[in-house]
Amino acid sequence: MADPFGTSAEHPAPPDPPPTTSPLTAAQLGRLLQRVARQDRSAFARLYEATAPKLLGTALRILHQRGWAEDVVQEAYVKIWQKAGHFDARKASPITWMVTIVRNGAIDELRKQPPGTATGEDALERTASSTPDGHAQLEHDQSVSRLHRCLDELPEARRDMVRLAYLNGWSRADLATHFEQPVNTVKTWLHRALKQLKGCLAP
Amino acid sequence: MTDADALDMLAAEFVLGTLDARERASVARRRLNEPELEACIQAWEARLAPLGDEIESIAPSPDLLARIERRIDALDESPVSPQVVALRGRLKRWQWSTGLASLAALLLAAVLLFQPRPAPDASSFVAVFQENDQQPAFLLAVDLENRQLSIRPVTAEPLPNRSYQLWIKADPLGPKPRSVGVLNADLTIERSALRDYDPELLKQATFGISVEPEGGSPTGQPTGPAIHGYLYPTDAEPDGQRL
Repeated sequence: MADPFGTSAEHPAPPDPPPTTSPLTAAQLGRLLQRVARQDRSAFARLYEATAPKLLGTALRILHQRGWAEDVVQEAYVKIWQKAGHFDARKASPITWMVTIVRNGAIDELRKQPPGTATGEDALERTASSTPDGHAQLEHDQSVSRLHRCLDELPEARRDMVRLAYLNGWSRADLATHFEQPVNTVKTWLHRALKQLKGCLAP
Repeated sequence: MTDADALDMLAAEFVLGTLDARERASVARRRLNEPELEACIQAWEARLAPLGDEIESIAPSPDLLARIERRIDALDESPVSPQVVALRGRLKRWQWSTGLASLAALLLAAVLLFQPRPAPDASSFVAVFQENDQQPAFLLAVDLENRQLSIRPVTAEPLPNRSYQLWIKADPLGPKPRSVGVLNADLTIERSALRDYDPELLKQATFGISVEPEGGSPTGQPTGPAIHGYLYPTDAEPDGQRL
């Protein structure tokens, strides 16, 4: 990977922020990832402490069972250890990059199960509530409010579909059952919703 | 819908998470060789990432870090033989199986190749069936000259009341996968199951293994998620080194 922060090995590393205090910034997480790419185990432990609750929350929301979710988080960190050198700060924030790895792992796991495994009674309720997260907060408050503005422009059912899919890991089939629509209709709605979001988010 | 639109929607649904297992596996494979698809996926990841902002953090079990570190220790201790390195260089399409998973796969493939049989010849091929960058589930070895195949479970285990079924898909066979056979209870398969296929077709084919009701798919098509593999030649001698 290029050295996006200009902190390569010949420069002294900036001092570590004290452990387990305020959430780390994207730049701090990025520097930890760079050190992880050089097989720095203490940086890996710091990165884990700073991000594991967010990653577990992501996996647990999709898989519901703690043991299962922790297995997925474990494999995600193994992958983070192996792929830290591929992280590119120009393309994603560190936490987004890590959450993407764990989301992909959790959804892949869920898709191995029979359809319907994802859909719990409380899913919509949980999806409707918005609980901003204090720890390891995603560092893009502006983009958060922008995306929510764009979501608010969608018809309610399509907005719920996008959220249930992204946050809870629901497949087209799960959505079709819940919204009592044919799968092809769900696909059409999803595509319309996604295109509308893309247009709304376009600069 | 234009092709570009279709590609963008495929990327969007991949990121959103609504694709089924087979579609996800297909996108995960394609993105490695299709920069356009990869770019669409990354753009959608960036667009939708703010949705994750509301996810509550949940403290992991106290021993999770130690478990992860043990996994990493095990990775770092994996021996890397020159043969594996050479094989890795040769099999560039295995790039999607990363790190230890691929190392494990390559070691296993190497082990497989060194099994008692004559020196590898131009007709020896091996495929690794591996899901989601995890450890390989199966290894498939094919001797094209004699059209013999053998399958070996790695992490896959027999499932109660279910059968694994091997499929082949290739353009000359039409758009649908064709059954090669149902794996026996001990996860082996009839060695001559590929006898009716042309070797050139086999080289281009995609193989899939799906989980089916006991005895095999009732429909003649895969009914469960399939994991895929391609044949790779094992006859190369990169840098003059005999594999």
